[in-house]
This record gives sequence, structure tokens and C-alpha cells, in this order.
Amino acid sequence: MNADNPVVLEMRGIVKRFPGVVALDNVGFDVRRGEVHALLGENGAGKSTLMKILAGVYEADAGEIIFKGRRVSYHTPKQAQVAGITTIHQELNQIPLLTVTENIYLGSEITRGPLVHWRAMHKGARALLERLHLDVDPRVLVGSLGVGQQQMVEVAKALHHRSDIIIMDEPTAALSLREIDDLFAIIRDLRAAGVAIVYISHHLNEAFEIADRLTILRDGRHIATRAAADLTMDELIRLMVGRRLDEQFPKETAPRGRELLRVEGLTQGDRLRNISFSVHAGEVLGIAGLVGAGRTELLRAIFGADPIDAGAVYVDGGRAPIRSPRDAIRHGIVLLPEDRKQQGLIMGMAVRENVTLAVLRTLTRGPLIDRRRERALVGQYIQRIQIKVADPENLVSSLSGGNQQKIVLSKWMATAPRILLFDEPTRGIDVGAKVEIYRLINQFVANGGAVVMVSSELPEVIGMSDRIMVIHEGTVTGFVGRAEATQETLLEYATGHRKDEGHP
Amino acid sequence: MERTAATSPSTGARSMRSIGRFLSNTGPLLVLLFMLAVLWTLSEAFRSPTSLMLLGLEAAAIGIVAAGQTYVILTGGIDLSVEAMVSFAGVIAAILIAGTNVAGGQIANGIPSYLAILIALSAGALIGAFQGVLITGLNMNPLIVTLGMRSILLGVSLVITNGAGINIQKDEFLSFMTQVIRIGEDGAIRVPMVLIIAVIIYFISWVVLRHTRFGRYTYAIGGNETSARLSGISVNLVKIRIYAISGLLAAVGGVLVMSRLVSGAYQNGTNMTLMSVAAVVIGGTALTGGKGGIWGTLVGVFIIRVVEQGMVYLSVPSNAKEIVLGVIIVLAVALDVLRRGDIPWLRMRRRAA
Repeated sequence: MNADNPVVLEMRGIVKRFPGVVALDNVGFDVRRGEVHALLGENGAGKSTLMKILAGVYEADAGEIIFKGRRVSYHTPKQAQVAGITTIHQELNQIPLLTVTENIYLGSEITRGPLVHWRAMHKGARALLERLHLDVDPRVLVGSLGVGQQQMVEVAKALHHRSDIIIMDEPTAALSLREIDDLFAIIRDLRAAGVAIVYISHHLNEAFEIADRLTILRDGRHIATRAAADLTMDELIRLMVGRRLDEQFPKETAPRGRELLRVEGLTQGDRLRNISFSVHAGEVLGIAGLVGAGRTELLRAIFGADPIDAGAVYVDGGRAPIRSPRDAIRHGIVLLPEDRKQQGLIMGMAVRENVTLAVLRTLTRGPLIDRRRERALVGQYIQRIQIKVADPENLVSSLSGGNQQKIVLSKWMATAPRILLFDEPTRGIDVGAKVEIYRLINQFVANGGAVVMVSSELPEVIGMSDRIMVIHEGTVTGFVGRAEATQETLLEYATGHRKDEGHP
Repeated sequence: MERTAATSPSTGARSMRSIGRFLSNTGPLLVLLFMLAVLWTLSEAFRSPTSLMLLGLEAAAIGIVAAGQTYVILTGGIDLSVEAMVSFAGVIAAILIAGTNVAGGQIANGIPSYLAILIALSAGALIGAFQGVLITGLNMNPLIVTLGMRSILLGVSLVITNGAGINIQKDEFLSFMTQVIRIGEDGAIRVPMVLIIAVIIYFISWVVLRHTRFGRYTYAIGGNETSARLSGISVNLVKIRIYAISGLLAAVGGVLVMSRLVSGAYQNGTNMTLMSVAAVVIGGTALTGGKGGIWGTLVGVFIIRVVEQGMVYLSVPSNAKEIVLGVIIVLAVALDVLRRGDIPWLRMRRRAA
């Protein structure tokens, strides 16, 4: 890359607030033509929010965007794409039941009179795929392609729109090593053709390998922008984290008690294959793995949210037949889902109603709910879990992510559970609230509970677990103790490059 | 800076939402009071005790049907079978009371009316529950299930009556149920028994929806079914009961219509599905579920009745009735959208401006 390339995009003084959180505080950032610019930072640092503002998903509360020399503001992703800014998301947003051609040309079909000009579109699609060295028939359904190929189709779509900037949000999360190499080759081609790439990733090695410059965000603030050549890995980590690991993860080890939960031979189609493990009182078992490895599916299967094909769950040494979340709750197992808003909370209901949802049974007098007792219970949890809410009658939708997570936690704590299945405990939560969630986990295991924690954040898994189980494509590849766990070891297991034999 | 992305989180949309919220809380009631005031001033006929009694009488049956519909819509479902259930329950009760399915003179050779009514109501609840089983157990779309059941029930009513009304004679129980109670000097205020029944049903529904576990679950399912299930609520059981309640209350409405007309016929429920859904929506319950309440529906029912009756008194040609009702229904749904403050193109324009 040539450092003299003209700046194609500049964002200045961007501010974005969400209820209870300042997601972006006066953040600036620029991208040059033919540059790969990595955007780095921890979860909640504001990377995705910044890119969503650029792509017209969110609106900034303050600040300006200058694209190709003009001030712009997009209100929909479509407007941004037409203008030349394409985002390739972590979750691919293509329509699996349409063909490659149809997906590429979606919304910009070539027509001849009132009819769609299929021949021209297939030809165009084929040309785009060839440019990407992708050997795929444009007439096949996108749903039949692998994740890596689907991603390439998105890149083809971006090329079709002659994008000046392609934003890639965690593009390698679901790719194999081979596919990652292919992707990088294409990124280099695009760069040579003058396209600017904004590359968001958690994988620092990748960022170093592919990026020309790196911008680091932390807690919604711009920390630094450096040329990749001028930065060392140590320095980068220091910039990203800004504090020592033990401050970030206030892990306290609790005495290990008897076995509380044992899972044997759990199998569910191709997603989960013969998974066995156990967790003891006072223990946090971390589960690591790549996106799509079956982490969330495993928790849901244990909780009875999805049916299983084989396997058994034992609680306290006894067989626990769990066919529904209700059964699980009765056995003292609860699930804090990854997607709180869609699966953990009822956004249109008050804090009070959400907190007591799972224990209404115990709050009735005759057929009626005893409001006095209900309010007392809610007040007690607001204090104990330290939920910041002015009035328990407020809707949960008005709270910040951290407080919403605490509401889900309160709902379950009221059922006096012994086993927490915790899926992405701190996703979308700001740094201060994260530490509070960690302390609540500490407290729970100190009181004799057991936690099974899934997280995409390897530092979080390493920082908070007593033991880590790694899964790859639905099978357990290894167990790693807290002392031996490093990001590199976990990644080797998670990518299937290392596998211990003979697990229970 | 005015052309940057820096417009604050559109105050326009927020004020639109708060106006919407105000409207949804008190709006329907204000509209109803306004309409009553206008009609009271303009029409002398409307001021007569008979006309006011009629208003209550006409509102009762549809009101009970709409109460059932409220439960269903609160869970995010819909019950299109209610009008057919009104007819079906009336026909069943009439046949049992008359002791024959042949249309004819005033006969009453069958079983006592309270027994016949009990059977008709049980049938309503059971058929409703069956719909609930199909919707939850087989994961079928409520729109299709209840639309299909509507056809089946109308068809059965038509076949067993041969398309004619089955006439009955009132016994003591039916006379009691259909009486008009006179209160005050000279019985100036006349309250139909059926209106009292309707109000009791509304009160019970309010207690059930707002003060019982079942009611809380109803709102929770409408608010977010996935979260509700993952919180340990037996969503399917609650929904089956919801459809049973809707079937039961539609059958109650059907029996009342039949007693008033002293005839059970397959046309008895005509239009009641549309009216009940309209009443629920006008009353401020969101079609997406989880928000709203039973008292709003009662207000919605009265708004519809006042419009219908008002048009008679104001000499609007009766043929135009359908048009006015249609407009009101569409307006009510527009209000539902406005309430959520969620009109994409409008939001976009505000931002672009």
C-alpha cells in the first residue's frame, strides 16, 4: 500500500449513545484508497457500532462522515451500498433459497422491458465470480454453498455495486484455515484494485498479517491509529486492554465440591456428537469453540430447549430426564441465553414482571398474584444484584445491556438454581458492568453453584474458567486446565488441529 | 452541521410515539365520549331511554365475543372462527331446546334451556381447545386453522338446519336471561340482563388478565413467545386454554343472540369476526400481541355500536353503514401502527429533512 493514497473516507467526532451507555465518544477514523484498515478493540469497544453508523444502520448523535470529499449520512444500508459502502456481516445476510445470481443482483436486477434478463445477469455473475477465482455455478442456491463460499458471494455483490469501501465484520469467524487463505488472497487483489477494506477482527494475528494500518478503540473511545509495521503485538494488546488482566477478570477460585451436573453422550444430529463432561460445585467450566461449533446448541440441549437424539443428563448423581425448559428449571438448571432481547427478556414488560416470570407460582394467594409479595421480591433482587433502575415498573427495553443481563440473572436467581448455563455472559455489555457480572458469577460458585460458560472471547474464557472444554464441529476436542490455558492452545483445539483422545 | 448524521435521535419520532401512547391509553375513551356527546346533541331520538337500552343490548353479545378475541390477540394470535361459533352454538342450543332440527312453529319439546346452553357452551370451549391443539401441537398458523374452522362450523350449521332458522319458545330460564331490568321512577332506566352478563364477563376477564398467573403468561407469550418458553412457561397449554376461552365466549355470545331472536340460524353470527377484531384493535390492543387490555375492547365495542346506531338516528342510508365501519377499522389499524411509532418511510423523511 502506498501511504500517499488519497483518503476516501473520514469519520469525525462521532458520538453515539444507547440507553445507559455511551457507545462511541467522539471517535474519528480515516481510510485511504487501496488500504486494508483493521479496526480492533474488545467486545463493546464500539467497532461494530462505528461501522453500523457508516453503513446507515444507526444514526450518530453527533459527528460527521466525509466520503469521497462530500459530507454524507445514510439512513439505510441500501443507501450506503448504492453510494459505495458495503458491509459483509458476521452473520451473512443472504437469502439461502435464492440462487447466487439472484442474491448478487437482489434489488438491482437487469431487466429487458418488464422481464428479468436472466442471461445477462448470469453472465455478469459469472464474471464477478471469476474475478474472485470462485468456481461456483451462479445458478445454484446460495443455501447449498459452504460458509466460505457464501462470504465470497457477498464480496461478489460488493464488487457488483462497485464499492469503494468493503467493511468486513469478523469475516474469518466461521472459516477454515484454507478458506482464510483464499479470503486474504482476494483482499489483496481488491486492495491492488484500489478498494478500501475495513477489517474488524478479534484475531490479532490476522489483523497484523493483512492490515496496512490499525485503529484501536477502547470503551467507545479512539485510542490510536498506527501503521502495522510500527506496532508490536505486546503494544497492541496494551492499547486494546488498557489494564491488567486480573483487573479485567476478577476471578476468585472457590473450593471444588461434589459433582453437580454430568452430561453423557449427548448427541443431536450432526450438531452435537457424543458430548460428555461434568461440572462440580464451586466450578466454572468454560466452553470454547469457533462460531458454529455447537456451543449454544449444547447449552440449549441441556436446558431442554431443543430435543436431543441420544445422551443423558445427571444432576446430583441422579438421572434427570429433561424434555423442556420447565423440567430443567425444576432440576435447578437455568439458561442465560446469548440473545437476551429475543430469548431472555420480554422487552415490552416491566422490570418487575420480567424478574418474577419464572417464580409466579410461589407468589400467588389463591388464584391471584400477590402484588405486595411480588414487589418485595423484585426490590430484594434489585438490591442484591444491583440493578440500576429508577422504578421497577419501567420497561426492560429502557435499560442498558448490563442491567438487562442482570434482570435475566435475577429472574433465574429467584428460582434458586444450582447450575447456570451462561451463553456469552458479557456480550454487548459495557466494561464496568462486565466486571459486576463476573463478580456475580464468583458469588454464585462460592455459594456452591456450578457454572457452564460459553464465550467467544477467549480472554474471558481463560480469565473466568476453572477448566475449559473446547469443541470443534460438535465434538469435544479437549479439556484444558486454567493454568495451561493460552489463546493459542485453545485455538488449536477449536480449529480441530489438536485433539485429545479418549475423553469420558 | 445540519447536514451531518448528527440529528438527535429524532425528537419527531419520540413525540409521535408519546402522542401515540397517550392516544392508546385514553384515546378510544375520549373518542367514544365525543361521539356520544355529538349524538346526544344532534338527535333527540338518541336521548330516549329505549335507544340507550338498545345500545347496551346490541353491545352485549358482540362485546362478549370481542372479550374472547382479546385473549387471543393478546397472545399474538387471531380467531377468525368466532362468527361461525356464534351461529353454531345458537343452532345447537336451539335444536336441543326445540327438540327438532326442522324449522317450524314455536315448539319446545327438547331439553331444558339451561342444559341445552351448557352443552352448546361446552362444545364451544372444546372446539376452541381443539383449534389451540392444532395451532400449538402441529405448529399451524392460527389464521388458517380458525379460517378453516369457520367454514366447517358454518357448513355444519347450514347442513343441520337445512338453511332455515330453528325457532324456540322461551322457558323460565331464557326469559330470565333476556329480561330488561327497570330501575328508578317509572322504570326510566332500563338495563338489559345480557349487558349485566357482559359486564360481569369483562370484570372477570380483567381479573384473570391482570391479576392471575395465567393472565401474566398471556401477556408474556404475546410479548415474546421464545423468552416465555425459555422461562419455563408451558406456552402450548396456555395457548390451548386461550383458544378454548375464545370458543367459549363466542358460544356465550351465540346463545345470547339466539335467545334474543328466539331462533338459531347459521346467519346469527354474520360480521362478528370482523367486528370483534375491530373492537379489540380500536380498543388499543396491539395485533402483534403483548400490549393492551380488556377494558379497551369494551370501549371499542361501544364505539362500533354508537357509530352503527348513530347512523340510523342521523338518517345515514343504511347501505352506507359498511363503508363507515370499514373506514373506522382501517383507521384503528393505522392508529395501531402510529402507536408503535414505527413507520419506516416517515422516519426516514424526518431524518432526511
